[in-house]
Formats: sequence, structure tokens, C-alpha cells
Amino acid sequence: MNVQQLVPLALPRGRPLSCELCGGPAQLRCGACRVTYYCDVDHQKADWVSIHEKICQLLIPIRTSFPFFNSEKERKHGMEQLLHRQKHLVDLTHKVAQKFVFEGKHKEAIPAALHSLRFSIDTCGPDSVELVPAYLILAEASTGLGHLTQAEEYLSQAQWIVLKTSDCSNGIQSKLHRNLGLLYAAKGNFEESLYHLATDIYFASCAFGTHDISTSGGYFHMANVFFRQNKMDIADSLYTEVTDIWHAHFSRLIRVQSQTLTTLSCMLSIHRKCFILNVDEAQQAEASQVLNAILDIKEQAPKQQPAKTANVVHALAMLHYLILDLPKASSTASLYSLDSVPLCRCITDAGWMLCSE
Amino acid sequence: MYGIGGTIKELKCWIHLIKDKDAIDHYLAMNIKGLSKQEAAAYRNSYKKNICIDMLRQGYHKSFSELFTLIQKWNALREAAGPGSAIWQQKSLEEQPDKLDQLHHFLTRAEAAQRAEYYEEVYNNQLNLAYCFNNTEDKWLRNYFYEQCFSTAQLIKIDGGKKEAEAHANMGLVNEEQGQFMKAAEHYETFHQLTLGRMWNDETGHTYNSLACEHLWRIYTLLADKMLENKEHQQAIKTLIKAFEMAKKGGDKKMEGEAAYCLGLAYHSAGEEQTAIIVSLLNGKVTEAIAYLEKFVTVAKSAQLSRSLVDACISLGDIYNERGNYYKACEYFNQAFEAANTLTDLPLVDETKVYYGIAKGHNMMVVVNSHTDAADHVSIEYLLAWKENRSDMCTDPFTNGNTVQAV
Repeated sequence: MNVQQLVPLALPRGRPLSCELCGGPAQLRCGACRVTYYCDVDHQKADWVSIHEKICQLLIPIRTSFPFFNSEKERKHGMEQLLHRQKHLVDLTHKVAQKFVFEGKHKEAIPAALHSLRFSIDTCGPDSVELVPAYLILAEASTGLGHLTQAEEYLSQAQWIVLKTSDCSNGIQSKLHRNLGLLYAAKGNFEESLYHLATDIYFASCAFGTHDISTSGGYFHMANVFFRQNKMDIADSLYTEVTDIWHAHFSRLIRVQSQTLTTLSCMLSIHRKCFILNVDEAQQAEASQVLNAILDIKEQAPKQQPAKTANVVHALAMLHYLILDLPKASSTASLYSLDSVPLCRCITDAGWMLCSE
Repeated sequence: MYGIGGTIKELKCWIHLIKDKDAIDHYLAMNIKGLSKQEAAAYRNSYKKNICIDMLRQGYHKSFSELFTLIQKWNALREAAGPGSAIWQQKSLEEQPDKLDQLHHFLTRAEAAQRAEYYEEVYNNQLNLAYCFNNTEDKWLRNYFYEQCFSTAQLIKIDGGKKEAEAHANMGLVNEEQGQFMKAAEHYETFHQLTLGRMWNDETGHTYNSLACEHLWRIYTLLADKMLENKEHQQAIKTLIKAFEMAKKGGDKKMEGEAAYCLGLAYHSAGEEQTAIIVSLLNGKVTEAIAYLEKFVTVAKSAQLSRSLVDACISLGDIYNERGNYYKACEYFNQAFEAANTLTDLPLVDETKVYYGIAKGHNMMVVVNSHTDAADHVSIEYLLAWKENRSDMCTDPFTNGNTVQAV
């Protein structure tokens, strides 16, 4: 983490350098890449932890001046390479920001998300629909930190872009309305929140189907709002729906996996491991967050419903199995069989999961 | 410069009054009569989208799923049928606001009832929806809701199975319409079983049990018709016997009569088919046929089914004729003649007259033959006398006893 001091007066006139994070006058420079500037050490440290460590060297070819090429072909090739690098950066920063948000580390997510936004603007222009995901991540991180006006600003930008794009996909509209719903719920305006979450579910159903895991997120957030409004029966019905969707999804994955395992039983065990990773990180984080939250609510509910609670635990156990977290899977499964519900099918399933590995 | 500074100052004061976005929104809502954001969105959206969003924000997510799936189903049906079919020209569910409204109204109420586990209310709402879509182009929708009623009715235990019975009857009707007679028969049988001994009535005042009997009679007759077309006479007759029994239990005389007639016909045709094969079996069948036809005649007389009466009497007369029981044959042809008279169908009347004549002739032939066989003096004289005056045999005191014996 090599940091170099800058003397602003020594810089050529007409080129004021601004901080990466806040835009204030720059006093420091990153020693490793020498193209990134900061106003003070705090911002430098924050950026390094969040994203700069991963993209330090990748920034150099983008931020230095375009090299001189001899022929038109080389110039074109150079331009394409630059664009390609920028797109790669957009993807990388977006993924990093999303991971932080799912883990709840909203503060670390913001620099990464800002970078994602800037690179998107560089590649696609200020009005493109590609900017919407970046704005949404920023909004989500800000909501998580409690900066609600900031979040609202980002969401307004996103909403304006979506309104201007006539053929915006249903998936993006669904995400936008989900974030709007979360924002209004954080503000306490439940009616607006419900309206936006309803719109989210509608778009998600159009894009993915009414019983898809992408739609289940909308149901979950809506259930939370009804829970806070104390409408327990509606919330309960929605939580059950979410659990059922995840349960069905995991059951299907396990079934497919066991089929591939039996057909490939003659192959080496090394190959077997390759097929097991079919829950990607984002889904895994979301499922874990959602199911644990539902389990907490069910356990603290005044009226216990053993069958439904058992369903949630079963889904969680399946998740842990799918991500190869076997100790956790077995512990959840054993917790489950301690429940006083004689659901034989689930118990035999859990036992099978423990034995098959 | 001073003027500009002044205006800028004023603007700044004004801006300070409205600090943040919520206050701006509030100010606008209070003072400027326009559309709120939601109202503007509602104006832009399609009717279907508005209804879906409305259902969801009130928490009725199951209703939303059901409506969404139904619309998708309709689209899939239309795609499968292809252009040029009847369904291609129809308007989609999405574009029919009144139907969407009805679906919204009843589905949300059904879901609220389901959450409270008040299954009778769920059943009622689903049944109402089925009645709403009782027209030619929405049959699939109506059948879908009948099926939903059926699954809900299984859960209702409080009313002692009345709704379950009703649901079975409705499913039977659906299956019958689609031509699946076996399934329909199963449903009607369950309906009958459930309503046995119960005093439930429908709107017209008939008991459910009698309705069950009627449905069963009709479905058995339909099944038997199909079997007869496939030449499965044994099966057809068994089914028609079941139909006849149901008709009797139902208590409607007309139904009973028709059932008996069909049965008789089936036996008769079965008899004709098997004449060449096994005579004893044939005889056995014919006896049963006779028994049923006689019953039918009595029923037909009381129900005044003249045409069928004529046909039945002719059939009976035929059978007796073939078997040699000319006296009875005469009787029945006589009855047929009288019935045909009331119908004023002249060819039919003539037909019956001819049959009567044939039977009478046969009748007489027996006696004549016996006399000819006897070949004694008295008989020959008697025969000559008969030939001269052409009268009826029965008046002869001499041969009266013989006549009785011969017949």
C-alpha cells in the first residue's frame, strides 16, 4: 500500500486532480498504479479495502493517455482493447459490490459501486440502461447505511432511465421496484412500499414465472412489510410461499445431482465434485439470508406451526448440502429430527444426505 | 446587478421554505390538483397490470398467481390451436375487463376465506366463478373452477358431505360433456352413495338422491348406446339393467318406462343376433325380454307412451308368435291395434291389423291341424261346417274342450 504525497501547486494548471471517492482536491497518490488520487488517508484506505486492491493494475492502461499507433488497424484494435478492459472492470466492480451488499458490508460496497457506475458511464454514456444495475446497488448500499435521501436520489436516476427506455426488460424493472419498495419500507411509508413490491412481483412473474426464486425475493420483502404492519396471516402465507419456492428449487437441484451421480458412478470421484457447484454465490447468499430470517420469525411466533418450521429447516439443510458445507448440513438435519414432527420423508432424506457423502 | 441580486434573494427565501422532497410532494399534493405518481402509473398501465398490482398490494398473492397462470394457459391454448381455429379470433382474458373484475372479486374473497380456513366460503366463491363463466367460449375456465370446487369440497367436513356430493355431481356433468362417460359414471355413483338416505334438496325441490338416480340412469343409457354400437351386447344389457334399476329408484315413471323399453330392445336385438348360436341361451334371454316387455307395457299404459306401447306390443306379439303362443300373441296385437288407433297413424294401424290377422290365423291353424290330424268323422264334419260359414272356432261347443287343450 504505497502512498505518495502530492504537491497540488506543482501540477500543471488546468488539470485539477480530484479524490477518487469524494471529488475533493487530491493530496495523495497511490504508489502502485500512480493514476489514482485521494484527498486523505481515510479515503485511500477505504478504497483500497473495497476495490482498489483488486483493480489497481487494471486501471493503468485505462487512465494513461492513449498510445500512438501507426496504422488505422492498430488504432482500431487499441480502441477495442480499451473498451474490452473497461467492460471487464464494470463487471468485476459490480460483482464485488454485490457480494459486499449480500454480506451486509454496506460501507465497503459503496466505493466499488461508484467505480462500477463511473466505468459504465464511460463505456455506455450517461443515459444507457446499463447504468441501472449500478444505481440500484448504490441505492441498496445507501439504504443499508441509512442514507435514505442519497438512496432516493440514486433510485430516481434509475427510474428516470427506465422510463426513458421504452423496451426495458422486465427483470430490470422488477429489480428497480424492489429497491424502491425497500427504500420506502426503510422510510416507514408502508403503502408506497407495498405498491412498489407488488409491481416488482408482477414484473418478475412476467420475466421468470410466478414460482421462480427471482420472484420469491419480492414475496419475502412484502412479507416483512406485512409483518411490520402486524398483519400476521398475510405475512405467514407469504413466508410459506417463499419457503416452498426455495424448497422446490433445492429439491430439484438435488434430484438432478443424484441422477448425474448415479449415471457417472463409474467415473473418477474427482469429476464428481465438478458437478456439485450449481448454486451460485449470489443465490446462496440470498437463500441463506431469507431462510434464516424466516426461521427466526417462525421460532419466535406465539403460535407454533411445527410442520411449516420443519419445512424451513429442511430447505436450509438442503442448501448447506448443496454448497458442500456438510458439517452445517448434518447439524441442521439433526436439529430437524429433534423436532416433534413425524415427517418420515424428510427424515429419510436427511439421513440419505448424510450417508451419501 | 442590484435587481438581479434581489430576485435571487427572494428565490433563496422561497427555496428555504421547501427543504426536502417529501415537503415538495406534500405541497404539490395539497395545492396542485393533478395525478399522484400512482394514479399516473395506473393510467399508463394495462387493466390486467392494474388488477394484478392491486391484488398483490392487498396481500392476495395466491389470487395473483392463479389469475396469471390462467391468462398464460389461455395464451398457450391459443398458440396450440394455431391461426384459423375458433379460439384464435377470441379476445384474450387480458382484454376483457369485466371478466378480470369478476375474477378479482371472487378470487380475493376465496383467498381470504382460505387463510381463515373457512372452506365453505372458499367453495362458494369458486362455485360462483364457475357460474360466471358458463358460456360457450369460457368452458375451459368453468371446468377449471369446477375442479377447484371439487378439491376444496374434499376439505369440508362440517356439513356432513353435502358440498362434497354437489362437487361430485358437477364433476360428473363436466366429464359427461367432454364425452368421458366412465369417469362421469364414477362421479355420479359417488354422488349417489353420498346422498343415500339424506334429505338434501336442491332449488327445484328435488332430493339430491333422485337427481343422482336420474344422472346415473342417463349416463348408463349413454354408455350402453356406445356398447351397442360396438356390438358388446352382454355389457350393454348389464348396463341397461343398472339404468333401469336407477330409474325405478328415481321415482319418475317416464324415466322408468324409457329404461324398460331400451332394455327390452336390447334383449330383442341380442336375441335376433344369437338365433343361430345357442337355442337354450336364446330362450332364456327371450323369457327375460318378455318379462321386461310386459312390465314395460303396464308402465307405458299408465304413462300413456302410445308409440312405444305399440312397438312393445308388436314386439311381444312377435315373440309369442314365434314361440307358438298364438293366444297371447293375439291379445298383444289387439292391444297394439287399439293403441295405434289412438295415434291416427294409418299405416301403423294397418300394420297392426295385419299382425292381428296373422296371429288369429295361426291360432286357428292349431285347431284346424288338430282336427285334421284326428281324422275322425266328427272332426271332418266340423271342419266342413267351419269352412262353410267362416265363423270363429270358439263358438263350437263340441271342440271347446279340445281347443282349450290344444292351446
